[in-house]
Amino acid sequence: MAEPLALRAGISGGAGVATSQARGTRASQVIGSSIAVRGAEKRYGQFRAVDRINLDIEPGEFITLLGPSGSGKTTLLNLLAGFQSLDGGEILVDGKPVHNVPTHKRGFGMVFQSYALFPNMTVTQNVAFPLRMAGVDRATTERRVAETLEIMRLSDHANKSPSEMSGGQQQRVAIARAIVMRPKVVLMDEPLSALDRRLRESIQIEIRDLHQTIGSTILFVTHDQGEALTMSDRIAVLDAGKIVQIGRPLDIYRHPSNRFVASFVGESNLIEAEIMQKRGTTVTLKNRAGYVFDAESRDAIDVGRVTVLVRPERIAIANEPTGSSTPVTVTSAIFLGEILRIEAQMDGGDTLLIRCTDTARRPLPNVGDCLHVSWGSEDCWVLT
Amino acid sequence: MTTISLSEEPRHQASSSLAMKLKNPALLLLPAVAFLSFIYLLPLIDLVRISISGPSWLTYFQRVFAVPLYWESLVRTMQISVTVAFLCLLFGYPTALLIHRTRGITRALIATAIVLPYFIAILIRTYAWMVLLGRNGPVNKFLVSIGILSEPVQLLFHRGTVLLGMTAVLLPLMVLTIYSSVSRLDPGLTRAALASGAGPIAVFWRVLLPLTLPGIGAGFLLVFVAAIGFFITPTLLGGPGDQMFAMHITQQADSVTSEGFLQALGVVLLLITLLVVAIAGRFLGLEFIWGGRKLTETTAGKAVPAATSGTARRSFGSAFADAIGWPLLRLFGMLPASCGTWTVRLMGGLVVAVLILPIVVVMIISFSSASYLTFPPPGFSLRWYEQFFSDTNWMRAFWTSALIAAVSAFIAVGLGTCAALGIVRGNVRGKSAIMLLLVSPIIVPPVVLGLSLYTLFLKFDLVGSVFGLAAAHAIGGLPIVVVILSAALQGVDSRLEQAASVHGASSLTVLRLVTLPAIMPGLAAATFFAFLHSFDELVLTLFLSSAQLKTLPLMLWGDINYRLNPVLAVVSTLEVLLVVGGLFLARPALATSQKAT
Repeated sequence: MAEPLALRAGISGGAGVATSQARGTRASQVIGSSIAVRGAEKRYGQFRAVDRINLDIEPGEFITLLGPSGSGKTTLLNLLAGFQSLDGGEILVDGKPVHNVPTHKRGFGMVFQSYALFPNMTVTQNVAFPLRMAGVDRATTERRVAETLEIMRLSDHANKSPSEMSGGQQQRVAIARAIVMRPKVVLMDEPLSALDRRLRESIQIEIRDLHQTIGSTILFVTHDQGEALTMSDRIAVLDAGKIVQIGRPLDIYRHPSNRFVASFVGESNLIEAEIMQKRGTTVTLKNRAGYVFDAESRDAIDVGRVTVLVRPERIAIANEPTGSSTPVTVTSAIFLGEILRIEAQMDGGDTLLIRCTDTARRPLPNVGDCLHVSWGSEDCWVLT
Repeated sequence: MTTISLSEEPRHQASSSLAMKLKNPALLLLPAVAFLSFIYLLPLIDLVRISISGPSWLTYFQRVFAVPLYWESLVRTMQISVTVAFLCLLFGYPTALLIHRTRGITRALIATAIVLPYFIAILIRTYAWMVLLGRNGPVNKFLVSIGILSEPVQLLFHRGTVLLGMTAVLLPLMVLTIYSSVSRLDPGLTRAALASGAGPIAVFWRVLLPLTLPGIGAGFLLVFVAAIGFFITPTLLGGPGDQMFAMHITQQADSVTSEGFLQALGVVLLLITLLVVAIAGRFLGLEFIWGGRKLTETTAGKAVPAATSGTARRSFGSAFADAIGWPLLRLFGMLPASCGTWTVRLMGGLVVAVLILPIVVVMIISFSSASYLTFPPPGFSLRWYEQFFSDTNWMRAFWTSALIAAVSAFIAVGLGTCAALGIVRGNVRGKSAIMLLLVSPIIVPPVVLGLSLYTLFLKFDLVGSVFGLAAAHAIGGLPIVVVILSAALQGVDSRLEQAASVHGASSLTVLRLVTLPAIMPGLAAATFFAFLHSFDELVLTLFLSSAQLKTLPLMLWGDINYRLNPVLAVVSTLEVLLVVGGLFLARPALATSQKAT
């Protein structure tokens, strides 16, 4: 008890509220903890919900656990929060194992999918709850609550009951409650999934900015790849209880390590092809239709059949054949607003999804039209 | 085709508005309301009439409050009822939490241990305590064997056993009421409190307890109201100094001279009950009686402004909280988390033991080879089963009970199903008031009901008739049917019915093909519980039966007062088996009705 108390008091006395409006820069002061997950394991009978996961999180990092339902991401978060206990491995926070520390003494902040606001308390009482539990005196509590409500733009709602607020407002209260202690670690369990799209996007940016301001380590769980790409410093993609890839959003999107990541993050064309020739990390391939093209790969690959990824927006289309193009037949064309979404069939049966920005020069193609598509080696990634 | 029928529709509707009115499902409420008016409301009104028929309308009531015997008994009844309600709360809350926190097979077992006794006759559960605490019972034997007692002592017939017996009998009611309120909580709230740094005690005090307060209130008052009218348990377990108010009514009923005064006793008991229910309804909404929620969910909004208004009180309160409350909570937070867990487990385990052990002991004793009650039995045999099944008196009583219960269930289910359809699907003003009328027999003390019915039965020469008893039992069976079936009907998506009628099904066909199949499990459960209610009924039967018409509970009652022999254990065991079988069959319906409420 003594240590977190001292720590909390230190925070409340010191920094106050950093009103930094800086965007896209690192927080002025990183207070977050480093987290190390070593061989973490959680079993339900024979089923391994979390299967010997290793994960190192830097202090102050915003890391997203991304995966479909049942991939183990929420279980991993619950293990970190202490709601469930490990069946193997260990979790270190700032180098110290936490398996003997009960949830309420870990000093984390947490935001829940269902908001989990106490219905018997006002907004102020909800946000003050962690401070009261830590034994912060009343004057400081009132000041800190007011500051936090200010940051979350909730000052006008301080005396409302949660049931009188909209979903977005409730979620901002939940976030306020999670950050009011300036915790070293904030856990977020799909906090935006109950909100509508527009609100979700605005709160995404809010959380992103907040992270810059408070400098906590944030662990964010989601099944929404767009959310993960928008917000994270790094993304850990989970499948069947394992981390299948971890990296910066750009790396995950451009250079996915396998089919699962490629198809889970963003839309993708996966094309089977035969390696004809290789020069370092660039390989020349030929697909079933006989189309020959270049692609990049992570490491030198032996000759053989591979799957390559071409993102729909990287495909160039033309009405006339060019030197490196191949003909396709349009099977569907939809106008989505700023982009056109075209599905077309290559010779040999592969279907291609193409997205291109809408310009005045390009009319919406008709079904049955013949287009000529091409892509460069930098647009094409060999999956391993 | 379509255009013609569409254009004809309004004219058709206008011309036969009477026919349309007759199709309103609300009309289905009429039979049940008429039945209750005649056999339940009317006698109660008559009871009140007789009670004020003295020289002055106050005469009989003055006597109730002037004679120390009755006045003291009234105070004693209140004391016992409040104590029992507190004991039930103290042990019931941890048990409800235990059910909530366990999972899978453990949870099913604990829940069964609570629900099973709930449906076993009070008479039989009280008898089990008499066996358990008797001179040759296991408790005495155990205490002697470990050397606390040198010889068996009289553990029965004093205030302690009354409290123990009544608490044990009423605990399931408390546990189930609190559990329904605990299980509605978002589990995220506990986690959110933990993640905010609250220890288990703080979570309980600041989050769990405030949010389940309505459930606690409902449980407390339901137990209290039931305890006020208790008759069987205090009669069998209490000593001369433990006379409860309801017992005076039955004793007075034997003497013909007390006409008027007797009714006044009943009215006093009824008024106290209604007063408590009214106060409870003021705070909780009268829906608490049948475990429903307020139709308008305003509780959350109401509770909070109260906390923010009244600054003077608030500042004192907050100063108090600052100085004592919060530090204390933080101090408790330093206790290992296992403390709370173990408190819940120990108290919950104790409750399960107290509820199940007597039943198990009685079941074992029923196979005893001894000619008197002793535990553990010296040997095992089926002699008492043979005696039960070969005794014509017992068998006749058994078949009489079964017949009455079947007729009673038929009446209750017939009227109750119609009423449930009317209340859920009908379009009628004052639904809450009608529901209240339908369900209110639950809260009226059976002694008062029996007393009021007696006059009516004399008038129509129904005393000692199978049909009369069945109808009387159906008064209590009806609320059970209505509550179960309303829940089941609310679970049926009314759009299913609309879909069927859009595609050409008449209202009767919709009922037959869509509604009834969907509520079939509920209907089966309701039938079983209505049957069981009548099969177990004793208090009304005591008033309304004759020497020629003996039901099984009546035989048991006579034998318990006369001699405690293992034949009673046989009857109890058979009853337990009946309940277990019934619960097993009714399981799916119970699961859905719990979801719906």
